Amino acid sequence: MISVTPKNLSAHNVKLDLNNLSPEQVALEIKHLDLYYGNKQALQNISMSIPKGQVTAFIGPSGCGKSTLLRCINRMNDLVDICKITGEINLNGENIYDRHTDVAALRRKVGMVFQRPNPFPKSIYENVVYGLRITGVNNRRVLDEAVETALRSAALWNEVKDRLHESALGLSGGQQQRLVIARAIAIEPEVLLLDEPTSALDPISTLTIEELINDLKKQFTVVIVTHNMQQAARVSDQTAFMYMGDLIEYSDTNTLFTTPAKKKTEDYITGRYG
Amino acid sequence: MDKLNIGRHISGQFNEDLERIINHVMHMGGLVEKQLTDALTSVCDADEALAKKVLSNDYLINNAEVTIDDECTRIIAKRQPAAGDLRLVMAIVKTITDLERIGDEAGKIANVTLESLSGKHKDLLSNLDNLGRHVLTFLQATLDAFTRMDVEAAIQVHKSDDKIDREYEALIRQLMTYMMEDPRSIPQVMSVIWSARALERIGDRCQNICEYIIYFVKGKSVRHTTPEDFDSLS
Repeated sequence: MISVTPKNLSAHNVKLDLNNLSPEQVALEIKHLDLYYGNKQALQNISMSIPKGQVTAFIGPSGCGKSTLLRCINRMNDLVDICKITGEINLNGENIYDRHTDVAALRRKVGMVFQRPNPFPKSIYENVVYGLRITGVNNRRVLDEAVETALRSAALWNEVKDRLHESALGLSGGQQQRLVIARAIAIEPEVLLLDEPTSALDPISTLTIEELINDLKKQFTVVIVTHNMQQAARVSDQTAFMYMGDLIEYSDTNTLFTTPAKKKTEDYITGRYG
Repeated sequence: MDKLNIGRHISGQFNEDLERIINHVMHMGGLVEKQLTDALTSVCDADEALAKKVLSNDYLINNAEVTIDDECTRIIAKRQPAAGDLRLVMAIVKTITDLERIGDEAGKIANVTLESLSGKHKDLLSNLDNLGRHVLTFLQATLDAFTRMDVEAAIQVHKSDDKIDREYEALIRQLMTYMMEDPRSIPQVMSVIWSARALERIGDRCQNICEYIIYFVKGKSVRHTTPEDFDSLS
């Protein structure tokens, strides 16, 4: 007979001390990050440690800087001419904003999935192996294996295994988004960035993706931006609340959604005027 | 009610839903207080008609519990409350359970009135009356703290339950002496003991409600903690 003690009851919910993570527990360390679009400061002195093998959610109202912060993690903001960044983001102890960083190599380690599914106008198979082909992998057996593994991880294999060579554009929205996730994880990144991955999907597809996110964290560190607070509450282990470019509160999700420390956080998550 | 900060949601409908539930809880608290007052009066005045009224009115409290429970379920399903709103809904769900049980205890007390005690046992009831008045004051202070969601008041009320426990123990000792002196009185004394027990349980239920108030306002669960843990809350 299993004895149910308070210790057993709370064992599944181990709370990390986000201010004192050991180096092995940290996937990404953001230090004093400031970001400007021209003269406008979009992120102000952001410092946080994102733990490995967990799901971290960024929430906040539109324009608070959460997507901007997410894009900083694989240097997508480099594509914006007027963007200026100071501070550090360390991945495996190395600052990704160091001038010697190979951005293409960084993006292989830090995959990204966007709001709207964006499959390439190619077959399902070719979509998944796209990243591998770019890195020079052409061995058919390796690619076949990678396709099956990635599609299984993305919970799509059973639905598409008989039509791998049909166009990816024939898939439903939810399937396309899972295909894009499969494409991102086929190259085995360390970190997966999800920018509102379900905002264009129906509730059932959303639940499938949320279930997938829970599975993905066993292999990857997941960082998700979402407008849906309940989604953040459901899928994430840590939640960061941002407001007007500031990181207001960053704590484990259970605490943030039941007993937030800051009034601004409480007002936002309970749907009150700020 | 202002302290509950419920009127500031962007959704006016959500504000109205929460306000309605809180009003229903206060109404239920009023009903429970009336039931206990009537039960104690019926014992004191040997008013059988009033005791019967207490027993027949218990359904009002039961109905209030079911209604508020349904409303809380609907709010959770439709609004997915978080943080303070979630704690408020949880505190209400637990509070109404304790209020309903207090209503049941009032019924038990009213039952004593219906058991015809002979004249020589009537003086037993005067002791019950003292304990009863203190418990009634205790319940009123609890409901008052709930209405204002006043943590300081909740802590004070919580601490003062010790007095009720001591008074209850003293009464039990007295009643046991009575039984030893006159074993033929045991059936009658036992019914007084059940009433005293009901009053003592009401004190415990009020303590629970004080704990829910603290949980809602401070976000800390103080159930099963020591009195020293309360000091850090002030």
